[in-house]
Amino acid sequence: MRRIWTAALLLLALAGCGVQPSEVADGGRAPTGVASGVTLYFVDAEGGLVPQLRETDRLGSISEALSLLFTGPGHSELSTDIPEEAPRQVVVTARPDRIELRVPLAFDELTRTGIDQIVCTALGVHVQSGGSTDTTAVLQFTQTTAESKVERSCPLTG
Amino acid sequence: MIRRWWPRGLRARLIVAFALVTALGAAAAAWAGAGAASGAIVSETERYATETTAAQIEGIAPQLEYPPDQAGLDRLRAAVGADTLVTYGDLRSGDWTVADLVTDDLRTAVRVNARLATQRVEADSTPWLLVGTPVMFTSPDGTSAASGIEVYSAHDLTGVQERLDDLTRSAVGTALLALPVAVLLALAAAGGVLRPVRRLRDTARRLAAGDLDARSPTKGSDELAELTGTINEMAASVQSSMAAMRRMQADARRFAADVSHELRTPLSTLTAVAEVLGDAAERMDDEARESARMAVTETHRLVRLVEDLMEVSRFDAGTARPRFEEVDAAAAVRDCLRARGWTDRVEVDAPGLVRLRADRRRLDVMVANLVGNALRHGAPPVRVRVAESGDRVSIEVADSGPGLDEEVLPHVFDRFYKADAARSRTPGSGLGLAIALENARVHGGDITAADAPGGGARFTLLLPREAEDR
Amino acid sequence: MAAILLIEDDPMVRRGLQLALGRHGHEVEAAETGEDGLRRFRSTVPDLVVLDLMLPGVDGLEVCRRIRASSEVPVIILTARGDDFDVVAGLEAGADDYVVKPAQPTVLDARVRAVLRRSVGTPDGVREHRDLRIDTASLAVSLRGEPIALTPTELRLLLTLSRAPGRVFSRQQLLEEVWEHDYLGDSRLVDNCVQRLRAKIEADPASPEYVQTVRGFGYRFGPA
Repeated sequence: MRRIWTAALLLLALAGCGVQPSEVADGGRAPTGVASGVTLYFVDAEGGLVPQLRETDRLGSISEALSLLFTGPGHSELSTDIPEEAPRQVVVTARPDRIELRVPLAFDELTRTGIDQIVCTALGVHVQSGGSTDTTAVLQFTQTTAESKVERSCPLTG
Repeated sequence: MIRRWWPRGLRARLIVAFALVTALGAAAAAWAGAGAASGAIVSETERYATETTAAQIEGIAPQLEYPPDQAGLDRLRAAVGADTLVTYGDLRSGDWTVADLVTDDLRTAVRVNARLATQRVEADSTPWLLVGTPVMFTSPDGTSAASGIEVYSAHDLTGVQERLDDLTRSAVGTALLALPVAVLLALAAAGGVLRPVRRLRDTARRLAAGDLDARSPTKGSDELAELTGTINEMAASVQSSMAAMRRMQADARRFAADVSHELRTPLSTLTAVAEVLGDAAERMDDEARESARMAVTETHRLVRLVEDLMEVSRFDAGTARPRFEEVDAAAAVRDCLRARGWTDRVEVDAPGLVRLRADRRRLDVMVANLVGNALRHGAPPVRVRVAESGDRVSIEVADSGPGLDEEVLPHVFDRFYKADAARSRTPGSGLGLAIALENARVHGGDITAADAPGGGARFTLLLPREAEDR
Repeated sequence: MAAILLIEDDPMVRRGLQLALGRHGHEVEAAETGEDGLRRFRSTVPDLVVLDLMLPGVDGLEVCRRIRASSEVPVIILTARGDDFDVVAGLEAGADDYVVKPAQPTVLDARVRAVLRRSVGTPDGVREHRDLRIDTASLAVSLRGEPIALTPTELRLLLTLSRAPGRVFSRQQLLEEVWEHDYLGDSRLVDNCVQRLRAKIEADPASPEYVQTVRGFGYRFGPA
């Protein structure tokens, strides 16, 4: 009988709990997104893709980065495969697993390297602002083509 | 201490135990439910807090200049919300209450793990959830490093605490509601268990009181039913052995009665011719005369023995029916002594008239047997004292012999018990005192034997003045 | 000296009693069964019948009843001690007295003589009480001139009671005077005999005129 009383008291003690102070617990991945500039991708003399850090004091958004990319490499030995006269506005739509980029160009106006420049720059910003490295990019061109549906990833990073 | 609080009755115990178990069960269920619910609420709250904090930081981080200045930190702090502290190196933005809340453990965890960390603390009895995180610096290939910016935000859990309290209260309320139902159930259960127990008790009482037909009905197949069955079996075996014993006793008594009855016919003949023989003996030679006289004497003795035996078997069979009438006890004693020629050998001390309702013949037998016993085994003078006391009449027969031995005393009323085996010359049947005692009992009285203070044995016959027909 | 008819089924007991009573001067005729006994009773007319109640065939009680139906000859029954039922039934059947078996011849003889005796004390002429006339010399009793047949015991009871009208006799006194019993006599003898006597002399035996009951004491002769 003594045991029953003990058990009852124990239970009552346990039942009186609310929000208790706790130890430090892990809360997941830390947020990210600060940067001293944005990384753009251009082409070197051998035709290889090269990252160029543009000191903007901040990371900025994907469309800001693409706008900078379209303005060209500036004063350096690097070149770009994106036509200079192209309009600079790119519409960015972020989906859970991919980023859709509406490019104001036709598929034939871009070389493979030019496409890679856009993809790498966009995915780089995405990753830097906390996105997944598995995310792919889909380039939607002005004319209807099967290439508008191809999921692309940056050859340098992944 | 606890023991003293424990109730004694089986019913009370069952009810208390039942109620206690129910209350415990309800409390346990309520506790488990409340615990699970509060765990879910707290973790959901925490998840929401960390996710919004992280999302808000990530929402604004790309727009922050790096390395940040005070204005940048302020923007970040504003984006995360109230009760937020943002630090970068020596720079800091935010209120001091949060800075006070943040523990060293949390700060260390944030710096070392470079991951988001949470901790619940209590300050001034207000529960807080602290979310601390570094803001990371990630390169395009996915590798990241701490940027040096740390964000700490505090979320007030008072609302959560209140919801939890409500939960606990309703759980306790539910448990309390279950209590009266439990008591009712316990009463029913106790009744179910105690009814057969009570039946068993009644049966046992009846058995103890001698009603060997008492049985309890066995229902079901539980332990109580087994116990009931066992008790029934026990009662049955006791009953059968009692019946066998009674049968044997009855057989033995019937045998004694039959034997004495059968002896009566030849004794009638013997009694009839003994007189003829006795008269004729005078004319015989010495040896024949002695033999004839012995035959006559022994015939009379045999007659008396058989009559005593029959008397005893009538007591055994319960067919001894006394016929009560008004008797003067003193006169009865005197008549008894006179009829047997004992007047000279016995002193009588009796008042003039002692009214008594008794069976005349049985009273005579009792007095004759007691006095006869005193004359045979005691020594003269033998005294008979008749006295009245209230509603009883006592007749005391005392002798001046050696008294009764310690060993003899318990057996003086036994049948055929002879105090002195060597003195078999006594002409008594060995049934005299036994018959006297039975007769006393038929009257509702008793006979006691003891040594008189002055030596000698003293038998006291006590009879109720008004014997009642039974 | 009397002519006795002994009815007893056991041959040894029968012969033994015959011998013993013979020695006391009685003339004993023995019968083996009830039927035999009744036959002999009618042919010889004895002074007294000694009757064993336990008889094969017509039992003792029936024999007693049949004798009493036609005769005032005294009957003594032989019974076992304690068989109260026998005693009561026998007395109700009309027996005058009983002797407990095994019967001692001297006791039996004393009863026989007592039961046969008809007179009490010395004759003192004729007692007349209302319709009842008792002649103490001739021992004749008549009611309204009609002679009444009484057994010797009934006659002696009436003589004893009427000797002192109004005086109360205890049962014990009556037993000693009428039946000549000792102090242990059976009072039922008196009660039964009183009943038989009342049936013969009282107009209404339920409210007797001559033999009155005195509760707790005994009887007295009524008309003072």
